[in-house]
Amino acid sequence: MDTKTKVKDVLVNLLKVKPEELKDDVKLCDGIGVDSTEMVEALIALEKAFNTKLSSNEIGKFSTINEIEKVIQSKISK
Amino acid sequence: MEKVAVTGLGIVAPSGIGRRQFWANIKSGRSFIKKITRFDASKYPSHIAGQIDDLEKYSHVSERLLKKIDAFSHMALIASELALQDAGIDIKKENPNLVGIFLGNAIGGWLYAETELRDLYIEGRDGVSPYMASAWFPAAPQGQVSIYYGIKGFSKTIVADRASSLGAIGYARKTLNKGKLNMILAGGMEAPVTPYALLCCNTYGGLSTDNAHPESAYRPFDKNRRGFVIAEGAGIVVMEPKERPLERGANILAYICGYGTSCDGQNRINPDPQGRQLARAIKMALTDAGITADEIDYISLDGLAVDIWDNSELKAIKNIFGKRVKDIPISCPKSMFGNLLGASGAVDLIITILAMENDLVAPTINLDTPACPGLNYIIKEAKEHKINKALIISRGRGGINSVLVVEKV
Repeated sequence: MDTKTKVKDVLVNLLKVKPEELKDDVKLCDGIGVDSTEMVEALIALEKAFNTKLSSNEIGKFSTINEIEKVIQSKISK
Repeated sequence: MEKVAVTGLGIVAPSGIGRRQFWANIKSGRSFIKKITRFDASKYPSHIAGQIDDLEKYSHVSERLLKKIDAFSHMALIASELALQDAGIDIKKENPNLVGIFLGNAIGGWLYAETELRDLYIEGRDGVSPYMASAWFPAAPQGQVSIYYGIKGFSKTIVADRASSLGAIGYARKTLNKGKLNMILAGGMEAPVTPYALLCCNTYGGLSTDNAHPESAYRPFDKNRRGFVIAEGAGIVVMEPKERPLERGANILAYICGYGTSCDGQNRINPDPQGRQLARAIKMALTDAGITADEIDYISLDGLAVDIWDNSELKAIKNIFGKRVKDIPISCPKSMFGNLLGASGAVDLIITILAMENDLVAPTINLDTPACPGLNYIIKEAKEHKINKALIISRGRGGINSVLVVEKV
């Protein structure tokens, strides 16, 4: 599974949204109405899924799927 | 003070979800108290309760929201939706600044709290849901219902043990009377059937331990009473200033016309054995309603099925109603489904309004041999009787007394 698909998979399962609601270049807070508390949960879930550390400065509710993919890709390829 | 109209009822109880199913079970005098099956409660001194097993079937709440809230908020959301539907109100068309919410709760949302605290100690900080902070506390349902409907007027949660929701309804009326709101969702919710909450309720000591006979374990005012049985659920009503339903062509179900409250202030657990402050609260409610005790033709009793509570309650009503107390129909319908603690008063109000609508008094069950004979106990099944003005009594630990006067339209 590529990184983007895995990110989407984590968010779909966590937030109980439909996969088609997750657009690659729309901010999470605009596209699916993610709030800051949901983002805390999402960060923890992404950390577990990719076995890496992520901070709220790197990924937040204003991030898009593309941006999240980029951040995670850069961490796991190091 | 002006009376206010009740225009919608929302009930989520072990005896049924929605007014039709609930009332059918109430009038037949059927018990819904069973052994707790949600978790292994067999080691608890009291392990019976009124439980709701099919909440999801009636739910309109998304999975995304459900995972952020405790069961008591879920129950409040369902009861609110039922109440609004019953009142024929599309809340999106209301001015949100003129809509309020007053709810009552006694113990908070422990199913969520227990699970997350367990995870905190086992998995560490990362194991705890960030929603823990907003899911467990007694005002959480008030917040969730407000957010769900975009309510922006006055909001409040009353925490006064078992008297919480009747207090919320009393204060909602007071607030409506200030003339600054168009409507209020008022009532209460409780979800005590969880390992820790059940433990606390057991420690309190008033629970029946007749686990072998769940259906007959809760027997208020009976000579062989052994305490009460807990239950979960929610009761929420729509309240409006009395002219507004007429303006919008809506049906008025009943009027709330008086409220009185007092506290005994003498013991951490028990009430005043003489029920003096309860009698004063009854008097306050009658005065507030501008009526005399002679006009009351039904009393919904608190009925904890604990000697000092039942006896002091009867002393208080004898004190106020004098010789006439023998004629007034009295009952404690919660004997059928259990005591919803902080939500019990709101459920009693809903039962009383349904009783008024149907000209039937809901019964007390298991009252085979009254400890205090000679009163007009309605027992076993509903009895025909026209109720015009009713008194509802709700009492909390240590003697918090809430009394409401309800009038038929």
